[in-house]
Amino acid sequence: MKFYIDDLPVIFPYDRIYPEQYTYMCDLKRTLDAGGHCVLEMPSGTGKTVSLLSLIVSYQQFYPTRRKLIYCSRTVPEIEKALAELKRLMEYRLSVAETEEQQAKERGFYGLGLTSRKNLCIHPEVSKEKKGKVVDARCRDLTNSAVCQKGRENPGSVDLCDWHENLGKLEPGNLIPPGIWTLADVLQYGRDNVICPYFLVRRMMPFVDVVIYSFHYLLDPKVAEQVSKEMSKDAIVVFDEAHNIDNVCIESLSIDLTRPMLDSAARSVTRLGDKIEEIKRTDASKLQDEYAKLVEGLQDAATDEDSFVANPVLPEDLLKEAIPGNIRKAEHFVAFLKRFVEYLKTRMRVLHVVAETPLSFLQHLKDITYIERRPLRFCAERLQSLVRTLELSRIDEFSALQKVASFATLVATYEKGFLLILEPFETDNATVPNPMFHFTCLDPSIAIKPVFERFSSVVITSGTISPLDMYPKMLQFTPVIQESYPMTLTRNSFLPLVITRGSDQVAISSRFEVRNDPAVVRNFGSILIEYSKIVPDGIVAFFPSYLYMESIVAAWNDMGILNEVWKYKLIFVETPDANETSIALENYRRACDNGRGAVLLSVARGKVSEGIDFDHNYGRAVIMFGVPYQYTESRILKARLEYLRDTYRIRESEFLGFDAMRNAAQCVGRVLRGKTDWGLMVFADKRFARADKRAKLPRWINQYITETASNLSTDMAITLSKLFMRTISQNPNENQTGISLWTLENVQQHQAKQKELELETEKQQREAVQDDDEYGDGGFDDNTLAAINLDV
Amino acid sequence: MPSTTLAAKASYKKLPGTLELTPTHLQWTQDGKKAPSIKVPHSDAASLFCSKEGAAQVRLKLGLVSDEAGHNFTFLAPQAVAVVERERFKTELTNIISVNRRGVNASGSVPPPVTPISAPSPGNVASPRPPLLSRPSTSRAASVASESRTPGTPTSDPAGDFQLRIRVLLSNPDLAALHRELVMSRQITEDEFWEGRQHILQAQRAQESQRRGKPGQLVDPRPQSVDGEIKIVITPQLKLDIFDEYPVVKKAFEENVDKNMTEPAFWHRYFQSKLFNSHRASIRSAATQHVVKDDPIFDKYLEKEDDELEPRRLREDRVDIFIDLGATLEDHVETGNERDITMQAGKQRAVLPLIRKFNEHSGRLLDSVLGDTPNKRRRIEGSVEERYAQLDLEDLHDNQSSSGITLANLDSQRYFEGRSNQTSDSTITISAKAAVQEAKASLQGWSTNLSQLKVDRKAGGAALEEMTQNVAARLEVKMRKEDIPEHLYRQMAATQTATNEFLRQFWLAIYPPPADFPTAGAPNAAQKAAKAAKMVGYLERTHEKVEGLRQGAHSLGVDPNKIYTAMKPVLDAAEKAMAFWRQRNAAKPPPPR
Repeated sequence: MKFYIDDLPVIFPYDRIYPEQYTYMCDLKRTLDAGGHCVLEMPSGTGKTVSLLSLIVSYQQFYPTRRKLIYCSRTVPEIEKALAELKRLMEYRLSVAETEEQQAKERGFYGLGLTSRKNLCIHPEVSKEKKGKVVDARCRDLTNSAVCQKGRENPGSVDLCDWHENLGKLEPGNLIPPGIWTLADVLQYGRDNVICPYFLVRRMMPFVDVVIYSFHYLLDPKVAEQVSKEMSKDAIVVFDEAHNIDNVCIESLSIDLTRPMLDSAARSVTRLGDKIEEIKRTDASKLQDEYAKLVEGLQDAATDEDSFVANPVLPEDLLKEAIPGNIRKAEHFVAFLKRFVEYLKTRMRVLHVVAETPLSFLQHLKDITYIERRPLRFCAERLQSLVRTLELSRIDEFSALQKVASFATLVATYEKGFLLILEPFETDNATVPNPMFHFTCLDPSIAIKPVFERFSSVVITSGTISPLDMYPKMLQFTPVIQESYPMTLTRNSFLPLVITRGSDQVAISSRFEVRNDPAVVRNFGSILIEYSKIVPDGIVAFFPSYLYMESIVAAWNDMGILNEVWKYKLIFVETPDANETSIALENYRRACDNGRGAVLLSVARGKVSEGIDFDHNYGRAVIMFGVPYQYTESRILKARLEYLRDTYRIRESEFLGFDAMRNAAQCVGRVLRGKTDWGLMVFADKRFARADKRAKLPRWINQYITETASNLSTDMAITLSKLFMRTISQNPNENQTGISLWTLENVQQHQAKQKELELETEKQQREAVQDDDEYGDGGFDDNTLAAINLDV
Repeated sequence: MPSTTLAAKASYKKLPGTLELTPTHLQWTQDGKKAPSIKVPHSDAASLFCSKEGAAQVRLKLGLVSDEAGHNFTFLAPQAVAVVERERFKTELTNIISVNRRGVNASGSVPPPVTPISAPSPGNVASPRPPLLSRPSTSRAASVASESRTPGTPTSDPAGDFQLRIRVLLSNPDLAALHRELVMSRQITEDEFWEGRQHILQAQRAQESQRRGKPGQLVDPRPQSVDGEIKIVITPQLKLDIFDEYPVVKKAFEENVDKNMTEPAFWHRYFQSKLFNSHRASIRSAATQHVVKDDPIFDKYLEKEDDELEPRRLREDRVDIFIDLGATLEDHVETGNERDITMQAGKQRAVLPLIRKFNEHSGRLLDSVLGDTPNKRRRIEGSVEERYAQLDLEDLHDNQSSSGITLANLDSQRYFEGRSNQTSDSTITISAKAAVQEAKASLQGWSTNLSQLKVDRKAGGAALEEMTQNVAARLEVKMRKEDIPEHLYRQMAATQTATNEFLRQFWLAIYPPPADFPTAGAPNAAQKAAKAAKMVGYLERTHEKVEGLRQGAHSLGVDPNKIYTAMKPVLDAAEKAMAFWRQRNAAKPPPPR
């Protein structure tokens, strides 16, 4: 369908539209027009991505400025889904384009997705490597400019990557025909044409209309520096599934150091020293050249693609400065690193917990080792330059040293919003020390600040991003629009239930004190048994943590509860290994498709809870066992809570509750796709019954929790669920059109009504204005004055 | 070699007889009798139990799909011979059972009921009837009907059909009564009776052909207490299950039994070995580790515990990118602090083998049903449509697809002409203005009209009176006793259902149901006419029957009119059918075919 929002023609790839999609697009357009940021919450499964893409692409294609769209999502499956959605949208647009000219315009539209080398490599040997880091390193060995130059001058002297070489022969900006290319498509295109998909996407980035990649590529300064530097300022940035964006921000600036890492770093330093000695004998001019360059400043030191670890944070003006004299010389720098690593090692020997600010750390460092803050700040950059000069291969072996260098740079750059925590023991009752040095970012706004500053429109959206005002507060920005849309339904297609006690009336809770109580474990188990008896196809169960899931799975097995479940469904469990879990997921889906039915046990905030949909038969019921609170004994969390309280006046309990509920909502929200889909949402914990907890759930879920359904025992919940399934499984005969589904006419009607309302208010305003401002002196009135076009 | 027929002397329920294994059945014949009194089709065998080696009596117990208790046979030959005989039966039956379990035996032939067979009921005339076409199952679930694999396989198996009908009748007493009434008294034939009831048979067939999948439970032999002793009871079935679940045990079995040790010794040692412990689905095994003895033979087969964060074996090919969690992990360099202790997966390493066992077991069960992971290529590349289907919001499409079936109108020209003529004739131009005025005029002075409205008092009283009478009459009816004697009532009901059945057959012959599946031997027109005539013959007797009933009622002192009223609808229906038949015959003499 095609309709207009103000003057903008929007092409939407379906015959009908949900009312919330329409309002969502309207608000989005207002944000883009205003050139500001917004926070939008739209119910899961109501086609958020397609609305977003269809409005923004319409916007791009209609206005001549053609602002680029940077679309960020959390996971690779979501990236791929967004790309596929975009591809389908463009196919639709092409099919409805009226004129030849328009068709050409649609055809010329570029959309690409970026992910790591590991996911995009098709080199027969390199791609077999298991670890992403190794793939990166081996790829660099085959593709960096020095090697390439050598190889081209003297063919056969060094190994080069054919795929990368072929790419270089193509005309830049025209490496792949226009269109939308999903990751799978790009891989296939690379295979067919023997060109490297990874560098293809990287080099096409400046030319594409839409680029889709994960949050980290924009938020993590180490990565953003490399891939997102050239994005123009008027680009539209979208963070989809942004409910965890604050965590991504924090993660991108936090670093952990362990003793094995420091040992490895120390070895790397020695190797660097040896290498320098060797180079000095063979090719001393190289080091001289480097020195000369460093005097001039850091800029233009290398092309982006070669850099293996970009400087995490250095501001522009600093980059123009010269590297401090005491680390300019290679051997001096190596000595400097050695001293720093030694210092960190000594710190690790302490057997009590230490928490200190970066400033106090720097002071102590200076007192002991005379290392100053300024050179420390350039540490990462200087290391990169050195590695390049020495033409080191297999830099994955230097990763620990890189981490130390990044740590040095970060600690020397930020004073506020960070904390250093040294934990000598893993747990409180451990006796063998396993020290870990956490450098932790407490303030999510630090990482995202450059994004807000640089780009005029940033859209933060998700299915579950309640309470909305929390995000602007945490991320320190002022949104133009901040909106949560209710879900319009002609019949309740999902049933949220809160189970507070078992059939034996024992209260259930995942509270630490009672969670391992046999009565609670058994009652949780009987919920699973009962639901696996009555629910068809797939059931997904979420636990608050891995630790709890693992212990409860063992307990259930020993209590014979799982044996009971096996009678009705197959059982799959999330494991520590991502690939193994993917296979379990695949089998889970097969079992659901086959009709055998299965139960998937997984963890809230875990791997499965992010980016995997359990729509239709893949999830007819989601059971949330317990409230997914974070582990409050964690020192890092404690520090963060304290910081939030002191800086933003967000109370600890408020934040913890908010965080738990957004994750719970995220888990249960994945059961729906479309309004004909249905599912049960079971919250099994007595704490969910409290009104203040439920108030933190998204409005679209909360509005359907009835008073009776908010405090149930297992047997009552089962009765309600059966009743619900009996009614929902009947054919939805009633016509949803007009209420929860709009046709084009409905949209136009709505617009006409809206316009009328506007005119009405405007008229009233005008009348009011005229009453006030009519001076009767024959001059221009205010409206006319405002309408005059002044060429200033 | 399942075709060999085994035979042995065995007693059943303390009666001596012969136990035989034929290619299709296991049967037992009592000595001195000719027909076997127990006949169990192979497809019904579900489990097998044996008495212990060295027990006084050599017994074999066969559990059935429908009946866990099953049959118990005792071998009568001297101990040594009996054991050998039993072993032979055991091997054969174990094979059969395992085949059943795997469900390779797609139930093409439907197993007859598992009751010790009595003499076949002579009243039932089983004539061969046209095969039913089984419609392919529309269910997404492949397990629902094995037919879905071989759609449209005609089951031209009269015996099977016959059995099927018996089972339908057994499970439906009303239908059985009707069947007795009509078919056994030879009023209508068996085939006629079932005509138009195919759907019942089909439902029954579908239900029966639904294969039971492998039960989901883990193979986890737990010690039970038998006669005060704690032991693990091993049945041939359990043995197979263990071999299925743990190929390594099978390997050990093949390599060692008969060479190094006897079978009982093998199991004895296995259950005490570390190998068994590692196979147990419990994390407690870690605690019992020290109880378990070292075993030089079984320890060879011991694999390292699969409790690392990364699994030891992992399938090489990737999963569909839409569910590829590994891709996300590798999407960017790991950043951030380590997750807190509760969120580190795999902290309890003892649980990992258990979790992996669950996933593997579930996967294996699926593979056993669906075959190996299908179509790897498709999974990786994923066709575009399939991708889109996963993203589609189907309710946002206009439902154009179900716009109905186009009418096959032969002479559309005439249709439209006729229509337009009609409309041109009947169109009366209504002037909107006039209509409005008319309506207005008719409404003038409505308020005065309303105020003048008076309700006639008498009429109101009459209405009330009438209502009271109505209620009283109803009450009277209710108060009156059920005065129709039981057997008369039953007769009435029988007449009613029989007449209904005749009517059904009659109309079926006149108006055959829409042929949703062309039956091969569908009766032709002449047959139908004959049938209809026959039915009319029956229907004509309805009057007599009712008259008879009335007579009977009279003699019992029941108001005959009551009977008449009760039977009136049926009589009317019969009347109508007969009138139709007469009219039709008068209008068009039956074609001389």
